[in-house]
This record gives sequence, structure tokens and C-alpha cells, in this order.
Amino acid sequence: MSARKLIVALGACALLAIVAGCGGSAPMGAADAAGQRDKGPVKIGALHPVSGSNAVDGLQMRRGAQLAVDAINAAGGIKSLGGRKVELVTGDTQGKADIGQSEAQRLISAGAVGLVGTYQSAVSTNVAVVAERNRVPFVMDVTATDTIFARGYRYVFRVQPGSKVIATAAAQYLKQVSEQSGKPVHKVAFLHEQSDFGSGAADAFDAAAQQLGIALGPNISYDAASVSDLTAQITQVKASGADVLAIAGYYRDSLLAAKAIASVKPDLSAVWGVSNGAYDQPKFVSDAGQLGDRYFNTNYHYDATNPQTTALREQYQRTFGDPMRTGAVLSYDAVQVIAQAVEKAGSTDPEKVRDAIAAGQVAPLTVGKGPIEFAGNGDNSNAAPVLMQVQGGQVKQVYPPEKAESRPEYQVTWRP
Amino acid sequence: MTATMNSGAITIAGPAGASTKAPPLRPANRQFAILAVLVLLAIPLPAILPSAQGAVAVRILIFALMAVGWNIMSGFGGMFSFGHAAYFGVGAYTSAYLLVKHNVSPWIGMLAGMVVAAAVAVIIGYFSFRYKLQGAYFALATFAFAEMLRLIVTSSKFANKSVGFSVPLIQGSSLWKLQFPADSHAYFWVALVLAGAAVAISIAFLHSRAGRYVTAIRDDELAAAALGTPVMRYKLMTVALSAAITAVAGAFYTQYYLFVNPDLGFGSAVSIQAIVPVVIGGIGTIWGPIVGAIIVGSLTDVTATLLRTPPDFLDFLKGRSGLDVVLYAVLLILIVRLLPKGIVGTIAARWRR
Repeated sequence: MSARKLIVALGACALLAIVAGCGGSAPMGAADAAGQRDKGPVKIGALHPVSGSNAVDGLQMRRGAQLAVDAINAAGGIKSLGGRKVELVTGDTQGKADIGQSEAQRLISAGAVGLVGTYQSAVSTNVAVVAERNRVPFVMDVTATDTIFARGYRYVFRVQPGSKVIATAAAQYLKQVSEQSGKPVHKVAFLHEQSDFGSGAADAFDAAAQQLGIALGPNISYDAASVSDLTAQITQVKASGADVLAIAGYYRDSLLAAKAIASVKPDLSAVWGVSNGAYDQPKFVSDAGQLGDRYFNTNYHYDATNPQTTALREQYQRTFGDPMRTGAVLSYDAVQVIAQAVEKAGSTDPEKVRDAIAAGQVAPLTVGKGPIEFAGNGDNSNAAPVLMQVQGGQVKQVYPPEKAESRPEYQVTWRP
Repeated sequence: MTATMNSGAITIAGPAGASTKAPPLRPANRQFAILAVLVLLAIPLPAILPSAQGAVAVRILIFALMAVGWNIMSGFGGMFSFGHAAYFGVGAYTSAYLLVKHNVSPWIGMLAGMVVAAAVAVIIGYFSFRYKLQGAYFALATFAFAEMLRLIVTSSKFANKSVGFSVPLIQGSSLWKLQFPADSHAYFWVALVLAGAAVAISIAFLHSRAGRYVTAIRDDELAAAALGTPVMRYKLMTVALSAAITAVAGAFYTQYYLFVNPDLGFGSAVSIQAIVPVVIGGIGTIWGPIVGAIIVGSLTDVTATLLRTPPDFLDFLKGRSGLDVVLYAVLLILIVRLLPKGIVGTIAARWRR
């Protein structure tokens, strides 16, 4: 009896082992990854949250990366490797750090010469470690947190301006725009979601504002996942006498803030998004309607003044039938960074590709102070945010002047 | 942790495959024997699997640790916890804090995490049992405690607020620092030893005096109390053991993924991750948590692979994502509807008939 049970148990194990084992390709280790890189197309890995709550942005970014690969192939592939084609190998992080880690490992084993991704800071933190230990370059398209660069990684790069760069610029733009409009800012209230993203933005903004001599009002945090109403928080802002309200949040909670502002009507001169997930999105304009008019946001953005960007966005719109977001343009840029490094290195050896990335310059389709080039720590030294404003149902770039589509209107709709 | 351990080294006489005349084993010893066989079978796995699947195998073992821990309290003890993230997070944060701030080995951190988690569990348990929280109210209380810890950590400076801790990378590999090269097999083996030990402890616990008391209390608390069983003491012992095992899962998670933040440690998703494998495998069984962990842990990867290169009749699914979530939901509904005892529980019931 007991022995029979043992055999049954063993049979069950064997079955499960087969089930667990069948979900994979042929076994291969690091040596095989090199073999994978030497034949067939040059593989670039894209890791984004294509399912889960950020699936819309994740899918946008995967498509942006694919368009970059298509463009490179249409122009004749990697010329220094005799016109070898480029292929995008994709992974779905589901927005989870542990899934991101195993997907990154899978793409590297499949022969990816570099990775782009991942949209979320927590996931990027994990993928960065995988890239570092496998010695494969990882070019982050969207990852707000700056803490990754405190680790001294050699293989990790970033295209977007980081949390601190955006928040510092937001404070500077606020001072300049308010003074040019004849209503110098005197006190800023800050409303932010409480995770790393919102808190980091608030801390960096506070530090920059103190340097500029701007007084800071209440600093209010909330939980983005569970918040359902921000009226009490906005009432607190109204009572504080602040003339500007800065908001760092994700899409849903920032929309809630807009609704609360519309009902409380605090005495503000401006609503000032800081790397805000809503106030520069076309979706926000349609969801909030009149409520969202004249909202500002300082954030990374596709370069609306660059004809190449406009052409790419038109192509995206034709192909996929919805407007291309900035995240997707950043993914396009990140893939270009890797592909041009392969072109320059004339090799698919990740080590040589990494060195070419570190030494290279790539013209971006997103707003920047110049070509994408990386500082010693791997961060893009020419990354720059831009100030946008919702004007008459459209998101316009308004500051700095060289990237502006129209002039900033420093006021709110409910006060003269 | 004062379970009396019987030595589990059992060899079955005769050549392999000869299924005759094995001496009947005591249930505990039989379970230890099965465990030994399972562990032996698993040892070569990382060498066979490709490295991406190796990562999945480690994830399965982490799930198994969490599930075994949850099962001791909620399966054997019948105290349905919806807040095991509290103990997972305490284990993860204690080891990460000691390592990052004081350069203490993760092994010591793991032990410290077990102690702190057990203490937290005893405090939560004491107040819950003292005020006679039952069933759903107890589950809600545990959930609230886990959320409370998440918020405390999110706003505490010493825990790095919302940023969390990143484990510093070292050069080379070191067992003492519990850090190896990315696709090293050692991670799997360490996790296998931890998970194997957890299962051994759960077997020993179930067959010990404390385990018998606890199952008796689960089945009829009033009767057990009337017979003079020290109810409170054994309930607290159970939650402490359960929390300690879950804390090990948290500490190992941090070492393997090298990063923990309030959501990864204390988020409600973590509590659910501890429960689901057990529900699928069979609540209150020895092997249920393990079968459940294998299914839940590999489901994502298997479906994703299927979607990348689907067979012809499923071609319309190519390149779509989110199928694993759908499957997960369907599987859960089917299991809860058709096999309320879980896979292992149902098989065991059939077997007895």
C-alpha cells in the first residue's frame, strides 16, 4: 500500500516535471547565448508591462520599439555586419519585479545584445541587476527613479530625464514663467502619491524650490492605489493660502485631483504637474474636458517641434489606430541607441556594444538639450523635460522658448 | 520549534520497481520518505532546465515556502490568515536592513527575521484570540495588520520610506553572503534546502503533540478546551511557527531578487500569493502547498511560452498577453467549484475510499 502510494507520488512528480519542463525552448546556458547572437538577425530585447494595470502604456512602448526595428531594417539593417537584419524579442513583465527578472534572463539567453524597458521603477531595478550580472547593456526608456544610478552599474543606461532632473526643472520653469507673467510665485503646496515616484518628485522639487527662494506650503501625500476622493486634501490646500499647487501622481489619482480642484476652487494662480501621469495626456483632455484646461505639466515629452517625430507619430497612428504616447517614442529612441551602437561596434558582443553605447551620440525624437549621450553613471546627460499646458483642448509645449509651440498662459480658468 | 523529529532516512528493501512487501511505514516516516525522494529528484533540475526556466523553478520554491508557512496556521490550525504579507515583509525587511545598514550576513538576517516575524505573529494572535475574533473577522484583522505594517514602513525613514532596499552586489559568489552569479544553480539548491526543511518541519509539527492539539482545536475548540487543552498557548505556537517559515521566504526573496520595497514586501498581493497555492493544492494537507506552488509558479511561464509559439489550432492567440491571468482565474473557479478540498485533498479522499 505505502509503496504503491510512493509510486503514484513519483508518477505525479514526473508528470509535473514534464509540465514545468515543456514550457521552454531547448536548454542553453551563457555559452549558447553567444551562439544565438552570432547567427540570424541581431536580437534586441524589449521588456514592458503588456498585461496588468499598465498594459496600455506597455503595449504602446513595445510597438514603439518595433517601429524602430522596422525603420532600421527598411534602411538596410546593420551595415557594418553586412546588412544583418534586426529582430525585436519581446517579454511581458506584467508589472511584477520577479516576472521581469525571469523574462530578462530569458531574452538574454535567447541572444539579445541589449535590452530596453521597463516603464516601472521597481521592475527596472531588478532587470538592471540581471543585465549587470550577465554583462549585457540595458537601456531604460522609461524609469523615473534615480536610485539605480547610485549603485555604480556599468551596463545600465537611461534615456528619459530622471525624477530629480524633472522636479528641479519644474521648480525653475515655475519661477521663470510666473515672473514673466507678472505674478511671481510665493508659496507652493505639493500634493503627491506616496510611493517612490511621487515622494521622490516632491523631495527634489522642495530642494530646488528652497534654492530659488520659493516658500513651500503643506506637503500632502496619499495612496494612489486606494484613494477615491481628494476633496479634503484640496480643501487643506485652499486653507493654506498657497498660490500654486504642484501635483505628482499617476493618471487616475491626478484626474481625481482635477475633479476635487473643480469643486473646491482654491485660490491658485496655476496647477503645476510635476512628472505627472495625466496632465499632458490627450486622454486627460477628453476625460476632464473643461476642468483640465490650463493645467501645466513638466515632464519628458516627444519633441513636437521635430518633423521626424511628427512623421513617426503619424505612422503609428496609421498602423495602430491610436495616438503615440511619449513612452513609445522613448522606446523608439532606446532601441535606436542599441542598434546604432551595434552598427558602430560592428559586433554583437554585448561588451563591445556596451562600450559603443557609452561613447555614442544618438539624435533623439524626444525633447532634449542635444543628442542622447551618457554620463559616467549611465544617465542621459542631455535629457531635459519640457513644460506643457492644456490649451483649448490640446496639449501644447510652452516652455522653454526653443521647444515652445505656443505661449504659457499663467492662470486658472475659475479665477480672473 | 520544539517538534520532535523522527529520523526520516528510510530505504525500501529490494531493487527499484519491486513494489512488493515494503514494510508498512508510520505516516510521518512515509511522508519524510516521499519528501526525501522529491528533494533528490529536484537536485539535478537546474542543470536540466534552461536558465530562464531555472528562475521559474526558484520562484516555485519561494511560493512553496510561503504556502507551507500559510498552511501550518490556516490549514492545520484553521485560523484563516489574510495577512501573511506581514510576516513575509518582516522577514524581507529585517534581513535587508541588517545587510544594507550593518553588513550582517543574510543568514543571520534570516534568523533575525524569523524571530521578529514570530514575535509580531504572537502579538497579533494574542489580541485576536484574546478578543475572540473568529473566521472572517480574524481574516480581516490579519489583513489590517499587514496593511498597517505596509504604511508604517512606507513612512519610516529607517526603512528607506517608499524606496525600499537594494541588496549591494558583490564580486564573485559567496554562500555566507547568499549571493551567486546570475544563472548559478546555487540559488535553486539553497531554496530547495529551505523549502525541504520547511516541509519536514510541517510534517514533524503535524505529527507532534502540538500538531495534534492544534488540529483538535481547529475541529472543535470548545471540546478541546473542555478537555483541558491549553488553547491559547498552542494557537500562539502555531502562528509563530507559520510566521517564521513565511519570514524565511521573505528573506530569501530579497536575496534572490536583490530588491524589496513596501509593496513587494507587505502588499496584499503577497498575502494572496501565500493563499492561492494552498487552495489549489489542498488546504490542511502536507503536499497541497507544494503541488499548488508548482502549478501557480509555472502557470505564467507555460502560458507565455505557449502564446509565443502557439500550436496551429490556437494561432489566433499568438502575441496576445494576459492569457495566464484568465487561466489562473478559470483554474481557481474550477478548483473551488469542483474540488473544494484541492487537488491533493481530493486525491487523498478518493484513495481512502
